[in-house]
Amino acid sequence: MALFSSTIDQLHNGLDGAELRQNTIANNIANADTPNYKARKASFEHMLGDARQQFDSQKTDGRHVDFGEGHREAYTSVDRSRSYNHNGNSVDMDKEMAEMANNQIYQSALVDRMDGQFGNLKTALGGQ
Amino acid sequence: MFDGMNATASALTAQRLRMDTASGNMANASATRGRMVDGEWEPYRRKMVTMAPQENRPSFASHLQNAERENTEGVQVTGIVEDQTPFQTMHQPGHPDADEDGNVELPNVDPLKEMVDVMGATRSYEANVTVFDAHKAMKMNAMEIGRG
Repeated sequence: MALFSSTIDQLHNGLDGAELRQNTIANNIANADTPNYKARKASFEHMLGDARQQFDSQKTDGRHVDFGEGHREAYTSVDRSRSYNHNGNSVDMDKEMAEMANNQIYQSALVDRMDGQFGNLKTALGGQ
Repeated sequence: MFDGMNATASALTAQRLRMDTASGNMANASATRGRMVDGEWEPYRRKMVTMAPQENRPSFASHLQNAERENTEGVQVTGIVEDQTPFQTMHQPGHPDADEDGNVELPNVDPLKEMVDVMGATRSYEANVTVFDAHKAMKMNAMEIGRG
């Protein structure tokens, strides 16, 4: 039996994602006055749980593209078509701030749960 | 681990420089002797800060990675450029820097423009301070894991 449940792994993934998102938002706000800077968006929710798609596929040729094997890690993406500013910048300060508040609460909840998990372990190890 | 905080710190520095530059412009709004050009005084020229996203780790691999993942690490000041708009002229025959017709060239500083710039820099600075606080709170929060 594994000492750490898969919950801890998932919380870990969530915390990593929250950090990536926070860094991305920090970069966006840092570049709020940079001409032609396009805001980035962090995506990691697809890593949580077992939501990744598993295709039942078979390769009949070595040149075929992999199907569901390697799943995509957390990434940041850019939408180049938008602009909020006359200088080509696409950082929407209000949106970024709201996103950051969300992320803070999300991270805080994850930390709380993680703490709870360790608390449970401690209780179990204490044998009381 | 501290990438986000460093990014914010670079923005704070850049915004402060923007503020300093605007102050310099305001202070020199009527400086008629900015620079000596061909033995004649030229008035002060308005200065502006140019910024670009910062990309650390200047290696081939990092360039490739940046091209693929569009990672940046804060903002950097690429230079301070001078505003090339023409100087204002004012008829002031008694002025020591007046030409034969009594006209004096004055700096191309528009206080209104500078005020707008100062306000923009202040707001951006505040926003970055908020981000820094949030980041710090998150890190401190994470330190609490396993304490209780």
